[in-house]
Amino acid sequence: MNDLDRAIAQLRACRPIPEAEVRELCHKARELLIEEGNVVTVTAPVTICGDIHGQFHDLMELFRVGGDVPDTNYLFMGDFVDRGFYSLETFLLLLCLKVRYPDRMTLIRGNHESRQITTVYGFYDECMRKYGSANVWRYCCDVFDYLALGAIVLGAANSLGDRPQQENVQDDVEIEVCDHTGSIMSRFQRQLDDEESMTDNNHSHINNTRGHDGSSASPVVTSVTRGARGGGAGDTGERTGPPGSGASGSSGGSIGNPTGAVLCVHGGLSPLIDTVDKIRLLDRKQEVPHEGAMCDLLWSDPDEIDGWGLSPRGAGFLFGADIVKVFNHRNDISLIARAHQLVMEGFKEMFDSSIVTVWSAPNYCYRCGNVAALLELCDEPSGTGLFARSNGDASRSAGVSSNKGVMQEGDAVPRSGPARRYRVFQAAPQDSRGMPAKKPVADYFL
Amino acid sequence: MMAQSVPHQTTDKKRVKVYELRNNDWFDRGTGFCTAGFMQLDDGQTRDPRVYVESEDQPDRLLLETKICREDGFQKQQETLIVWTEPSSGTDMALSFQEAEGCHMIWKFISGIQRTFQGALAGPADDSLSDDLAIDAQTTISLPPADLKSLAEIEGAMRVMSQTANGRDALTKFIMSDDYIGKLIPLVEMAEDLESLPDLHRLCNIMKIAILLNDTAIIEHAVSDDCLLGVVGALEYDPDFPGHKANHRHWLDNQGRYKEVVPIEDEVIRRKIHQTYRLQYLKDVVLARILDDPTFSVLNSLIFFNQVDIVQHLQGNANFLNELFGIFRAVPPDPRKKKDAVLFIQQCCSIAKNLQPPARQTLYNNFIAHGLLQVINFGLRHGDVAVRVGATDILVSMIDHDPHMIRQTLYRQIHDNQPLLTDSLVDLLLVEVDLGVRAQIADSLRILLDHGPQVQAQEAFAKANGEFPARARLAPAAEVHELLLAHFYEHTAKKLFKPLMALEGRTDMNFPVQQASMFPYLIETLSYFIRQHMHRSKFFMLQNNIAQRIVQLLSCPEKYLRLVAVRFFRHLVGLQDDFYINHMAEKQVLGPILQVLIKTMPRDNILSSACLELFEYIKKENVKDLLKYLVQRHREQLVDLSYMETFRDIVFRQEQPQGGTMEYFLENEDEEARRPMQPNSRMMEHIAIDPSEEEYWNTSDDEDGPESKALDGPPTNGAATTTTPQQQKPLVDYPSDEEAEGKSDDAAMPPSSETKLGPDETGETQSVPVTPPPAVGPPPERLSEKRRREEEDDDELEKLMQHKRRNSSSAGSNASITPGNMVRRRRSFAERASPSGAPRKISISISPSLKTGGNARSDEES
Repeated sequence: MNDLDRAIAQLRACRPIPEAEVRELCHKARELLIEEGNVVTVTAPVTICGDIHGQFHDLMELFRVGGDVPDTNYLFMGDFVDRGFYSLETFLLLLCLKVRYPDRMTLIRGNHESRQITTVYGFYDECMRKYGSANVWRYCCDVFDYLALGAIVLGAANSLGDRPQQENVQDDVEIEVCDHTGSIMSRFQRQLDDEESMTDNNHSHINNTRGHDGSSASPVVTSVTRGARGGGAGDTGERTGPPGSGASGSSGGSIGNPTGAVLCVHGGLSPLIDTVDKIRLLDRKQEVPHEGAMCDLLWSDPDEIDGWGLSPRGAGFLFGADIVKVFNHRNDISLIARAHQLVMEGFKEMFDSSIVTVWSAPNYCYRCGNVAALLELCDEPSGTGLFARSNGDASRSAGVSSNKGVMQEGDAVPRSGPARRYRVFQAAPQDSRGMPAKKPVADYFL
Repeated sequence: MMAQSVPHQTTDKKRVKVYELRNNDWFDRGTGFCTAGFMQLDDGQTRDPRVYVESEDQPDRLLLETKICREDGFQKQQETLIVWTEPSSGTDMALSFQEAEGCHMIWKFISGIQRTFQGALAGPADDSLSDDLAIDAQTTISLPPADLKSLAEIEGAMRVMSQTANGRDALTKFIMSDDYIGKLIPLVEMAEDLESLPDLHRLCNIMKIAILLNDTAIIEHAVSDDCLLGVVGALEYDPDFPGHKANHRHWLDNQGRYKEVVPIEDEVIRRKIHQTYRLQYLKDVVLARILDDPTFSVLNSLIFFNQVDIVQHLQGNANFLNELFGIFRAVPPDPRKKKDAVLFIQQCCSIAKNLQPPARQTLYNNFIAHGLLQVINFGLRHGDVAVRVGATDILVSMIDHDPHMIRQTLYRQIHDNQPLLTDSLVDLLLVEVDLGVRAQIADSLRILLDHGPQVQAQEAFAKANGEFPARARLAPAAEVHELLLAHFYEHTAKKLFKPLMALEGRTDMNFPVQQASMFPYLIETLSYFIRQHMHRSKFFMLQNNIAQRIVQLLSCPEKYLRLVAVRFFRHLVGLQDDFYINHMAEKQVLGPILQVLIKTMPRDNILSSACLELFEYIKKENVKDLLKYLVQRHREQLVDLSYMETFRDIVFRQEQPQGGTMEYFLENEDEEARRPMQPNSRMMEHIAIDPSEEEYWNTSDDEDGPESKALDGPPTNGAATTTTPQQQKPLVDYPSDEEAEGKSDDAAMPPSSETKLGPDETGETQSVPVTPPPAVGPPPERLSEKRRREEEDDDELEKLMQHKRRNSSSAGSNASITPGNMVRRRRSFAERASPSGAPRKISISISPSLKTGGNARSDEES
């Protein structure tokens, strides 16, 4: 662990670690990632981040705004590398943190985590320059193949467990947007209609599992999460602090977790994937293919169309609101969080808030002038919501398929999403970044 | 306010709006009429060219009066817009004309005036003011003299000018004609002496602007020996990183970075080499962050043309090449020089990648003629990783260029009985510790042994065009390829896959890291060869019982190795080749994979997903032989796993009880797969159905499978297809195997006749009766090979899983082997005779014998 902590310190200073250490790190990461399912289960609270693209100093800014690891539980939705000048340091730091704090860090694969793409968009060249050989690039690409394809966030709360002085409003706030200092820029109240219809529409098997698991498993788990968060509360203070810890008394009336799960993928949906379980049936340990479900998950984009459309990217598809609606309904998902597309405001909700794009690379490519965002999902203060959805449960797929007849589009009422807090931030101030560290060739013959 | 006509006609009044840029917004100063002309000053002598705008509402009021002077850089934009910067105030101004014609006339006047300024500056003026106006109108400018005091002014002026196209042109001309960069350079040192950071930042900005003007001449000038250090010196102080100073001069000043393996005599070329290095440094390091696309491409093209010149020079220089390759033959050898020479050639080849193919071809031809392959051979065996990397890089770049070139060489080597390059590669691959070299070698091997349809197509094309004689001295691609493959599978493959074959008999699956990391390469390479080389790789698989070896890896503690093994078999199934499917069934590969899945299953990880995907694929593609094998041999496990749809479907479909016809089964399987699964009760229910029917499906299926294909298949596939009937037999046997296990002898006897073609016997008995019609007959030596293999297999099977079953049933089975075999054979011949109706009848005829067995099994399960 000592070595690892030292490597983390060195990478945090934006200095690459030696090739041998990279090999060691990638080896450890592989051991860890091989145990992860194609869809990782993550429990709230969690902070979800979009593309980083080698903008190391902006990643540091992200950690400042969102809270440091391991105090904050992070989920990165891919595209760590390419385009920026510090793909190497960025990816290795994230990987180090993953290895050091496996439960507080979730990394899923983006379309740039691929051999083909990185040879074109900069990561390969960067490795060549910084190490003089492609070995480090090969190690990293090997790890890419092991990255999970998506994540499911369970137990996200319906309300933003907030600071005590704001207790009176917290229950109805669905969306809150903060700036990088934590001051609230805007808030959106939840519409009551949603909430009511949503409770009515709870499916029987969910209720059952909740009752069952809620009593046995959750108390233990909550205490663990509480403990882990407790450590960080001191220095990161209230802006990143443990949501809900100070305000748990106020939402005593809440009954478990009425929201569905949040699915996180880099790109979007695939016509070949109608249930989350189908994702589990992919053999993901390979270069991102040019077509097929795995490709689509990493390449697709939502668009204002009906059904499926051809993607101008040449890989993946475009999908419309109807697709998202049916998918979310069938899988008991209240929100899809994805990245993959630059949004100037840092985040963009679409299709009645059934899908959101989160973008975490401010001033993308050092010239786009956009702001970045991260998305915080809080846990249910009472802790009862944690296992509302039993994910790997044996009879679940049977339950879903037998319910198919009942759950047709007709009676699909949009679920109300979990409460979401977006923290918007800007590019790190200029003086905090070093010069681009592209090392020139040392010797030359020609 | 008189407008006079010297030297140009005054314009008429033109309606115009006057704008001024305030806080980044264009502020409307009002509408009026514009005139331009010379104004007599009070002294009545000097005349200034001016532009006026009189207010429309109040004719007495002047909205604008500006003097046209050298610095303000008037510009015409679009048809109706003139913009400029007031030199006095620094304000950006614009005139927006109502009519294009009005704009045109005013502009004609202004550009005329500016030309005279330019003339005054640069020499005799062109008096005839051209009529084609704006397009070739040149603004002329001058910058304040280069000294520290005026840096702010210079920077501001340059920044403003660089924002418009004409301004950039003018600025470029000025900088070059005035050697402005040369004048600025001393200031860098001055400012450094004074430790005046603001000045240094300004100098940096000025240099950036100059370079981003994107002019070849300026860039070349900037990297010239005279200017280089001054320019990059200024660029070390980037105001975007105020706390930081780069050390560009340190990098570029150090002449020691340039190494000459063989002195390059030509002064011009040497200068180009240096220039290229500097340009690359500029592109990759100094300007990396701020480069815009046009400048990036200008830098790239400068670099490219230099490289073309350099490579052309080198390859045409026989003396140079002799000297270069002479290094490797020198006595006494100079190890240091040899190493440098390899690295030199490596760099040369990597540059060559950017050249046009013909130029590259000549380069490689010249290199090869001078002995490049010996150099590669030397490099591959070198103790220094850098040299090995270099040698593989050289090899890979040649292979990328034209693999056939290397194949021809290999061909020659085989003929001359020389050690083969591929052999060296394999040797190296097995001991190499550097991951990069290893990956590249594995890639090279794959490409060299690729089937190369392209090459053949190329050749066909060449033939068609009568160009064949030109290549006649080279062996035809197909022949080369055949010989290479033959040689590879005869000699090299055994060496290459030795680590796999050495697994035989091994029980401890803990490997040292180096060895473990070898397996993924080997197995992936093998997968590739299996895809590319049809029958040779099949034969190799059989002969060396590779499948069984890879099955062994499934019990490896290292998860990623297990994964590699699972993916290998997934790849085999994915080929949809009956040979491999039967092979997998025969080698009972799926059992161990199922075990891996069951052991992993409570966890949701890569390994379980990969296994699930494999079974899902088998189910989806309805790979019947494997499905049948699964249900017959691993039914309990499948039932245990049937909480998952995939396995429920597999069990369910195989035991599909409906009395539908065979056609139904075959044609509706897709639909069936889509049908929602019934709850478990359904499954239990149908277990009671008549097992004869079930067996009926299986057997007739069998008939319908590979055997019939073997008949239809073209004779060329003979080698592959003829083996399938033999492979298949054990499949049919499995159910009776199971029956025999727990049941009375009478029940087991009849079926065992068919089934109990124990693996030992198969080879013996089949060698005679199964020999198919001559047209599809396998080469004799292959049969014998096969027999040997099957005997080997047997031991493996026994060890792995067969144990109990064979013991319990073998007694009764031996006697009845021959009849069973005959039945089968007769059946297949009957099918040949009447392909349409025969199979069903025949399968029915054997079904009663299986009846009891079927019951037995359902008993076991319920």
